[in-house]
Amino acid sequence: MSISIKINGKDCEGVAGDTILNIARANDIYIPTMCYLTKVAPIASCRMCVVAVEGVEGMILSCQEKAINGAIITTSTPEIEKQRKNIMKLYDVNHPLECGVCDKSGECDLQNKTMEFEVDKQTFTAKEQHRPVQDWGFISYDPSLCIMCEKCVRVCTEIVGDNVLAISSGGYNSTIINTKLDEDCSNCGECMSVCPVGALVSTDFKYSSNAWELNKIPASCSHCSSACQLSYEVKADSIFNNEKKIYRVTNNYEFSSLCGAGRFGFDYANNNVTKDEIAFDNAVEAFKKADTIRFSATITNEEALILQNIKEKYDINLVCDEARGYQKFLNEFNSITGKSLYSGNLENISKSQGIIVLGSRINDDNPMVKYHITMASRRKRARVIYMHPMEDYSMKEIITQFIKYEVGSEEGVTALLARTLINSDDENIKNYLDDLDIGNLSAESNIGEEELADLSKSLNRKSGFSLVIGSDLYNHPQAKNIAKLLGLIEIHTNFEVLIVPPATNALGVSLICDLSDEVNGYTIGYNTEGDFVLSALGNTDLDIPALNQQEGTFTTVDKRVVPTNVGLEYHGYVLNDIANALGLNNKYTIDYTPHLPIKNGYKSIKFDELPDYFDSIGNEHRGYLLDIVNHEQNLDLDEISTLPTYDGSVIYNCNKGTQFSAFTNKSEYLSNETVLKGSSQFATVAKLKDKDKIKFTLNGVNYERVFKIDTLMKGTIAINPTFDMGLSSTLVSSYRFSQPKLEKMDS
Amino acid sequence: MSAVVFSTWQDEFIDNRGKSSEEWSSSAFKLPEDYTADRSSKAFIGWDGVAIFQEDVDAVRLATEYAAQYQVYSEACGRCAPGRWGGRILFDLLDKIARGDGSHEDIEHLTEVSETMMVTSKCEIGRTVPKPILDLMKHYKEQFDKCIDNQEQSKHYDQDINYIAKVTAPCTDMCPAHVDIPAYIEGVRDMVFTESLGATRQTMPLAHTCGRVCPHPCEDACRRTNLDEPISIMELKRLGADYETDHGLDWQHPYEPKPLKNDGKKVAIIGAGPAGLTTAYYLALEGIKVDIFEELPVLGGEVAVGVPEYRMPIDKYNKDIELVTSMEAVTVYANHRVDDKRLEEIDAEYDATMLAFGTRLSKKVRAKNEKSDMDGYWGAIDMLDKVNLWTKYGIGSSASDDLKDKTVVCVGGGFTSMDVVRCSIREGAKKVIMIYRRDEKTIIRNTTYEEYHEAVEEGVEFIFHSAVEEIFDENNQITKLLINKFELVPDPDGGRAQLVKIDDGDFEIDCDFLIPAVSQAADLQLIPEKWDLKLTSWNTILTNGKDYMTSRDGLFASGDCEYGPMTIVNAVGQAKRASSVITRYIYDGKVSLTDDEIMEDHLNKLKVYDKKEKVTGWMPGLPRVVSEKLETDERKYNNREVNLGFTGEEAISEAERCMRCYYISMAVV
Repeated sequence: MSISIKINGKDCEGVAGDTILNIARANDIYIPTMCYLTKVAPIASCRMCVVAVEGVEGMILSCQEKAINGAIITTSTPEIEKQRKNIMKLYDVNHPLECGVCDKSGECDLQNKTMEFEVDKQTFTAKEQHRPVQDWGFISYDPSLCIMCEKCVRVCTEIVGDNVLAISSGGYNSTIINTKLDEDCSNCGECMSVCPVGALVSTDFKYSSNAWELNKIPASCSHCSSACQLSYEVKADSIFNNEKKIYRVTNNYEFSSLCGAGRFGFDYANNNVTKDEIAFDNAVEAFKKADTIRFSATITNEEALILQNIKEKYDINLVCDEARGYQKFLNEFNSITGKSLYSGNLENISKSQGIIVLGSRINDDNPMVKYHITMASRRKRARVIYMHPMEDYSMKEIITQFIKYEVGSEEGVTALLARTLINSDDENIKNYLDDLDIGNLSAESNIGEEELADLSKSLNRKSGFSLVIGSDLYNHPQAKNIAKLLGLIEIHTNFEVLIVPPATNALGVSLICDLSDEVNGYTIGYNTEGDFVLSALGNTDLDIPALNQQEGTFTTVDKRVVPTNVGLEYHGYVLNDIANALGLNNKYTIDYTPHLPIKNGYKSIKFDELPDYFDSIGNEHRGYLLDIVNHEQNLDLDEISTLPTYDGSVIYNCNKGTQFSAFTNKSEYLSNETVLKGSSQFATVAKLKDKDKIKFTLNGVNYERVFKIDTLMKGTIAINPTFDMGLSSTLVSSYRFSQPKLEKMDS
Repeated sequence: MSAVVFSTWQDEFIDNRGKSSEEWSSSAFKLPEDYTADRSSKAFIGWDGVAIFQEDVDAVRLATEYAAQYQVYSEACGRCAPGRWGGRILFDLLDKIARGDGSHEDIEHLTEVSETMMVTSKCEIGRTVPKPILDLMKHYKEQFDKCIDNQEQSKHYDQDINYIAKVTAPCTDMCPAHVDIPAYIEGVRDMVFTESLGATRQTMPLAHTCGRVCPHPCEDACRRTNLDEPISIMELKRLGADYETDHGLDWQHPYEPKPLKNDGKKVAIIGAGPAGLTTAYYLALEGIKVDIFEELPVLGGEVAVGVPEYRMPIDKYNKDIELVTSMEAVTVYANHRVDDKRLEEIDAEYDATMLAFGTRLSKKVRAKNEKSDMDGYWGAIDMLDKVNLWTKYGIGSSASDDLKDKTVVCVGGGFTSMDVVRCSIREGAKKVIMIYRRDEKTIIRNTTYEEYHEAVEEGVEFIFHSAVEEIFDENNQITKLLINKFELVPDPDGGRAQLVKIDDGDFEIDCDFLIPAVSQAADLQLIPEKWDLKLTSWNTILTNGKDYMTSRDGLFASGDCEYGPMTIVNAVGQAKRASSVITRYIYDGKVSLTDDEIMEDHLNKLKVYDKKEKVTGWMPGLPRVVSEKLETDERKYNNREVNLGFTGEEAISEAERCMRCYYISMAVV
């Protein structure tokens, strides 16, 4: 229902349920706030945003109070200004006058508002308290600078879902407390990013630069398929070295979020590279004789298109191990839905009443998807059903039902899910689902029928459902039929399916490149292994720029094409130089942007014309959303095959926490523990002891790991990270669970 | 009426200073002149003003102590800028004046910070604390001036005076269990549901239950009503409990349960209904050993075997029960009937005994030919026992064996009768009729709007202003009823309207079952006659309604067997209070109340909610959020929970309507 109100004489439109503040902001009307943070529910602690409403006695809190149709609102009167100024005076009581050495100086809300309200003298006094600085690892907390706006606590509970920060109430002595100092916090830095003052600062960045000396370069994060908005903040390293350095990453925290990898893992540039002409000539020759180009999905759309063009021109195989399974999976899914893309997106996940996560350790695989699940859990009380062979303890307060299934049984699980969720009149589908051998599927997958009954029972609302699909499924032996079954769920239920890309630009690669299965002949490795290797990791046949040194676009999990810019300049050769030497002809890499394949939903928009901002009420205007185009339909489904069994100990490939790739591994700020973690039950089955050194081979890559028992884990599956394997880390192309032979090494 | 020297309570202005006692005017409010029977009050100060009972009062210190209570002991949560800093500044400046260091400028700053607190604070506590302080500064100005001008301490600055403070809220005061409602609503608003639940469980262990089937008297005292509509307080309660259950969290106790004392002290509880469970929980939290004796094979009392599944799903109630039974200090003996002999044994063996056996005898409708042994005559309690034992636990057999395709007439008008008719529909009865003496408005008042309308939607036929005159039977099987019709005749003298029988209004109803659900009585056979226990005129167990000890030492009573058939929350409130008394009684043999409890009773007498008060500073016109219910055809023939509860969004939106009407008051003794 639309409503109209008048603010300061201006007619403003809104929707019932909109707050006064939001309508004002949408209409570019300013109301001062100290505690308001658009991306969370109103906190209402600062009381600065009070306004006058005609016919209503007293001052009305505009951030929380919803507008009533016809309301006549005045945002500023002498009385309101007086109270706002008094509130600023209260905030300034005993606030340490250390702006000269405070990290926040220059971008501090307290500083800004103190000036705005001309608080030039203090009439209020209170006894000062002794409040020492606390070290929380990545972050330092200075309670004497804290104004108790509570933004940090809100993002931690409502968006990140770690529930690490809490308010210790006690009037004047109130403070923010870290309740999990000894436990895992995902070290995302969200709390720090939203702190309006210098109370929460990065321990690493602290005292390293004044805010105003840093140059902000808008970009997109390159670590996973969420490609979140961020800015690299750079300045020259010293007066002796004019080379710029990234000092920190900030983001538009008012509307969007980052995970720890995005915020702290920014130091992965390929530095000190110059144009090595010999190496370049060698590279051109290598391309000319290549049979295969093998590449990682940590790549821009433009680079992918260049590779595709080279492939077409020289008839070279393109192999992308990270994206191949995903591309096929998406194609099979599309063959059922008749559309080029899945329908789910992040925003709708955050608004869901019911979410099923299937085949992903989502908290590690894609933190941004997890954040959106958290938002749904907190704001919507969403039922979150997490289906996986392993419990994820860190998701406990988000998940409402954990359905554990046997490793390898994903096809059967998907079939059971389809049967539970689909209620279709279509005869073929009905027959297919009715003919499923439920007893057998249930027994093999170890999912009880009562668990599925509980699942349906808990989804008792009529709409707002999301199904999140993860990378356990893309390389499953039965991936094809799994994808088709999911396609059925997409079109025959009110679930929106989101198929999370397994690597940064796996979706872009899938939509841009014609990929082959097999590597053959002479192989170029582009950020991966090969006979001739080009890599941003350095020390290879030809250096290329890292993604924070490039401009171009990514295709995100949200089906959005987002631009990224050059954070740090790169002085060597780039792929486009090779392409031009090979007879393609575009001056800049970004000249390819408008030529991304329209048939797969891209738009013919020049790079420099791509928008990159959030508007005043938080709508995202970054790049553009892919068009969803029609896809050839083929409704044939396969029989469910006999499920393979995985008895004994199993290894699960999964990068934990803030690590995603060889690039995050380069960061000195991120934890890079690379042990094989398993429960004591795993240890028994695998005949291992804590701290045993072992080796094993997966996809032709040899791993040496120390085994560590994790007491929070259960079952016979251990988690193996792959991010530290350098160029080999992109070669993982098989089903995530495996049973390699574990050989003990002498320690 | 209270005798006061001076009062500004609720904008009355009484100033008897310097007047002779004949000239004194008295306050219209029940102010706590006497703190307890043997302790008089000097003054009382709170959200709505200040009352002075004794001439020789130190107003400066009174104001200072009130500000200190707000700062130190109160819920001055520090969660808004004006309250957080303002409260501290109030105290610092007042104390500065009281100790003889103040200046007239401080008075100006006090006034200024008070004004900001009063118009911008987040909670009512921050908005109201300055009011009586400003009153004192105005009307006892000479005392403040004296301190400042002479730079001297206020007159009783160093005296030993007791200042007893209590934080309440209109809703909390009205709730029989005195649940800290604004706190649990704030937990929902903050989306920190564990804190919400922790707040509820301070005084209410049955959060699932009272988040579903409480008749919410609190909502009648919700200040939001003065602005638009009351907050949906009751339904917001279940979010915390659902969160704990949904995520399989550890029990969220209000504080870490004390280790079992093992000091030989133990308490017996007769009956595992709401009152028994509540008594057990709060004793167990204190580490006191409790044994519960329950006659039925299942725990939970009437809420388990009386309230139907579609209103109160047993898996949820079982969580509330488990919270209690999982405590180390609690042992439960089910299927354990206590008769008078057994009760004597228990009484001798235990340090205290709580009677909490409810009212499980269905009263008769008082019609001609009414015989309990007739076929088709089925007391509501027995009928609901059968339905619930089968549908919830699979004990016994299905009531549909009896009721399918039959015509059922229920005589009632309260919750129990609603449960009877709606269960009859679910058990397949062909026709279900409710006979009620009074009108539609009254039945809604006695139950809830939703309950009545849902019953109508499900096909229950309500016949108002009617009563059963005679029951007809064939071979002892009920066949039909003779019904009298009444009409409400207004009293020409303006008195209460009278129900008058309509002479030619009689009619007959053919039926198979008559289920009386007019009221229930306590089964007092288990009380040994020789104890000569004092009873009320309603044949329930008599206590003073404050400490819940019966006329026999060490024997306590709470819940329906004490009060008569009443609400769950009433039973919880009584049992909570009684458990507090018992924790002291078993050690010192005395029946005593804490200051907090004494203040609770004073405030309840004074009345916290003022329905005439004008609410300012909030946007009126935001409607109360109503949760989604199952459609009639989705719920009519099954036991699915009818009320789907709030979505997160609805809950937060409703929680944001809460004005956090915390008040702090303080007695000077």
